[in-house]
Amino acid sequence: MDFIDYYKVLGISEKASEKEIKSAYRKLARKYHPDLNPGDTEAESKFKQINEAHEVLSDPEKRKKYDQYGKDWQHAEEFEKARAQQQQAGGYGQYTYSSGSESDFSDFFESMFGGFGRGRGRSSRGYKGQDYNASLELDLREAYKTHKRTLTVGDRNIRITIPAGIEDGQSIRIKGYGGPGINQGPKGDLYLTFHLRNTTGFRRKGSDLYKTVDLPLTTAVLGGDLTVDTFDGKARLKVKPCTQNNTRVKLKGKGFPVYRKDGVFGDLFITYQVVLPKNLTPEQKKLFESLKATNL
Amino acid sequence: MKVTNYIRLSDFCQGHALEESFLYELHEVGLIVIVEVEQQPVLQTAELDRVERLVRLHRDLEIGPQGLLAVDHLLSRMEQLREEVLELRRRLNRWE
Repeated sequence: MDFIDYYKVLGISEKASEKEIKSAYRKLARKYHPDLNPGDTEAESKFKQINEAHEVLSDPEKRKKYDQYGKDWQHAEEFEKARAQQQQAGGYGQYTYSSGSESDFSDFFESMFGGFGRGRGRSSRGYKGQDYNASLELDLREAYKTHKRTLTVGDRNIRITIPAGIEDGQSIRIKGYGGPGINQGPKGDLYLTFHLRNTTGFRRKGSDLYKTVDLPLTTAVLGGDLTVDTFDGKARLKVKPCTQNNTRVKLKGKGFPVYRKDGVFGDLFITYQVVLPKNLTPEQKKLFESLKATNL
Repeated sequence: MKVTNYIRLSDFCQGHALEESFLYELHEVGLIVIVEVEQQPVLQTAELDRVERLVRLHRDLEIGPQGLLAVDHLLSRMEQLREEVLELRRRLNRWE
């Protein structure tokens, strides 16, 4: 097993600062990243070396150990054995697990840092904390606009942004607001489910809205203007002559906001319900009789 | 919903320890397509390789959505040119 000069790999001096290490790593990673060099096995192997060098040199503890034992890495193994024995004597065993896949690290790295050295999500001794579930009731009007809300979960206040167009029953995940991690593992997440109250008179289906409006008989027969309520104001409609009962018209873009698409709205569908008179004045009755005489 | 055709955004993000907002940013710049199936935002599995590549580039090289857009375009162009070179080589071999 050959000694690997990580400083040489990154092209920096042994006195390089953290900033210089990061900068050298970034420069080389950009050059040799496997996704930027598809099919180039040489670049892939170079990228692994760069990653390994960065893994060691960017971590002060590992760098110290590497600087101390680097060329005499065999001593490092002895050092680790002694350290492990000390920890067992103290009653706290350590363990690691492996994904079983081929290692991305060199034999040199494995030998020197082994189970103690890996970090940054490659393996972990801790477990993620429990996920929490909570529900939040919202009025449909509130779901129409993106807004912020402060919630108290446990003893913590969270300020969340609720995007316009959220659906009834939809959940969002708030990372890190669940139960505490085990053995320094990450905190669990909070899953927040929204329940929407609808007292608006509009029926919602996805981002489309539906509403039934009364249409006076004369307007249905002769045509004319009709003002209707939309979700955020009023709209004036031209009613065609001889409009039938239950005719549906579409008001494009007057529906509900589309979730996570700023400025995009669904449509509003208006259904006309022609209102028949319940009482007629003698004059109206006479006029209807005249109409009847025309075989209408 | 065919299980093999889609992966829920929340599952993908959990598996990659990723914020959903990052994927929505990629969606907004037109790099990936998030669709809704049974009122759940999902990714098509056919697109997963590309999405994972973008996530790796974002993580390893700290490239933001606009940078990824440029990288993705250049990689597609590179792949197209590589195929052209291969095709031209094949034709040249026939003449030699």
